[in-house]
Amino acid sequence: MSIEIRGIGKQFGSFVALDDIHLDIPTGELVALLGPSGCGKTTLLRIIAGMESPDRGEVLFAGAEATHLHARERNVGFVFQHYALFRHMSVFENVAFGLRVKPRKERPSEAEIRKRVMELLGLVQLDWLADRYPSQLSGGQRQRIALARALAVEPKVLLLDEPFGALDTKVRKELRRWLRRLHDEMHISSVFVTHDQEEALEVADRVVVMNHGRIEQIGTPDEVYSNPASPFVYEFLGNVNVFHSRVQGKWAEIGREEAEAETTTAFVRPHDIEISRHPAESALEAVVQHVHPIGPVVRVELLHGAEIVEVELSRERHEALNLLAGQPVWFRPRQVKVFGDAVAKESAKQAFLF
Amino acid sequence: MSAPHSPPRVLPGLGLGLGYALVYLSLIVLIPLGALILKSSELGLHGILDIATGERALAALRVTFGASLAAAAINGVFGLIVAWMLVRYDFPGKRLVDSLVDLPFALPTAVAGITLATLYAGNGWIGRWLEPLGLKVAYTPLGIVVALTFIGLPFVVRTLQPVIEDIEPEVEEAAATLGASRWQTFVRILFPAIFPALLTGFSLAFARALGEYGSVIFIAGNLPLVSEITPLLIISKLEQYDLLGATALAVVMLAISFVLLLAINLLQWWAANRHRGSVVEGARP
Repeated sequence: MSIEIRGIGKQFGSFVALDDIHLDIPTGELVALLGPSGCGKTTLLRIIAGMESPDRGEVLFAGAEATHLHARERNVGFVFQHYALFRHMSVFENVAFGLRVKPRKERPSEAEIRKRVMELLGLVQLDWLADRYPSQLSGGQRQRIALARALAVEPKVLLLDEPFGALDTKVRKELRRWLRRLHDEMHISSVFVTHDQEEALEVADRVVVMNHGRIEQIGTPDEVYSNPASPFVYEFLGNVNVFHSRVQGKWAEIGREEAEAETTTAFVRPHDIEISRHPAESALEAVVQHVHPIGPVVRVELLHGAEIVEVELSRERHEALNLLAGQPVWFRPRQVKVFGDAVAKESAKQAFLF
Repeated sequence: MSAPHSPPRVLPGLGLGLGYALVYLSLIVLIPLGALILKSSELGLHGILDIATGERALAALRVTFGASLAAAAINGVFGLIVAWMLVRYDFPGKRLVDSLVDLPFALPTAVAGITLATLYAGNGWIGRWLEPLGLKVAYTPLGIVVALTFIGLPFVVRTLQPVIEDIEPEVEEAAATLGASRWQTFVRILFPAIFPALLTGFSLAFARALGEYGSVIFIAGNLPLVSEITPLLIISKLEQYDLLGATALAVVMLAISFVLLLAINLLQWWAANRHRGSVVEGARP
């Protein structure tokens, strides 16, 4: 079922949680709402679920007005960050709950309920836990049970609020892939909220980056990462070095003080910087401050003037360079994105010169 | 070699703490009760039962336990509503209502008894409206229930409040997205979560009602065989220097109370623990 969000606005007192949000989610898509805490992503998800009502705008399910439909009439599955399992019910009864509360006419028979619940538990690979209670399960197991419970009523839309936020990294990675597979098998529309950019980029078909109650950019993971629409998106999706630069004709220049030129900001990803031990054309000089090997990459901190520049090198490159703290080096970016106050759109595509 | 010592414990002071608790319990609870039982043993089991099964004594026991159970049950229902209101809703004067709940704890019970008797008497503010309906409250067993309900209310409310506060709103939202109505959510999700605490509150209110004396004697009318409670019967036996008769009644009351409270506590323990089960070994993500 497709979801359309038209001009949604929501305020809590004087705090604007959502401001004129427009978003289309076609059937079968897995969409991530990504942003820092307090950006309104969870509020938007709760409005889609019917747990919160918007001050303005409307929500459409499959083209039909659903803004004021009660949560229980929307046929959405909701998964909470802290699972919200029913503590006094066994795993089996938790999953069966949605079937048992159906009106008598629609309620399946006991045998059908049993069959359906065991199917779902099999789907989340936890059928051997049917008789346990939630307090006896690990976090990852609880979240999978919560997912099975949400799927029991065959929702048309699956909504997940930071579903893996309370789990450790390894379990998180496993569940991410597993969610992706599940989504592809179920043919439903899914929306999940996260503040983890890696999670959003890995799992989603489309990423909606939000900040201060507004949508900053909507696009595929590759689009938002390699072609960010705003400085915020650039900074939020991974580490970045920020250079203050000045526009000279069609060039944005760094390291030259000319008061009349327009100021812009240039963004460079740490892995887009090249380091050389010898002076080179249009490279800046710096001093190596720290060298941290982190797993597959080596992070090097350079001191350029008073500013710290972060660079990520592959292990091979690092071994070839053999950098030590205190050494002078020359660096130049391979790829740069420039945002200016007025010329953001044009200068963004311009070449870069030191 | 020194004597083999037990493995060190993480929490210190078990010996001291246990010793203190036992001495304290003995001085305050066990020794007085033991003395009571010892004194009554002069009568022998047969003698005790003879006194306890006398017509007047039996009627008093019936009134005492019946009225206490009824009052605890009423408090169970209305205490739950009051606690729910106080936790879940914001209304003007909420703080005031919240502190009113504690008044029955603090008010001298005799004052409560006299006030209730005046209100519910045939010419009292409330009694004059009930009398024409054929409902006599003061000076009847119904009056005893009213007094016992008054003194038991805070036990139920104060036991339930923290438990209701603990219920995560997400659990109710989850039930709603799964299609449950408000009523289904209450019956299937909320009530089972509250039930163990409700039983605790019920048993506390019940126990308090059993021992109540001050407020009841003013509103009960104290008619033998009709509205006389066992504590009053014990006092009147003491006033007639029938010390043995008084201890016999006390021991019987003690025994019945103990059995009832034990049963309620077992039920409460079962309700609270049936969802725990043993710890899972090797829980996988």
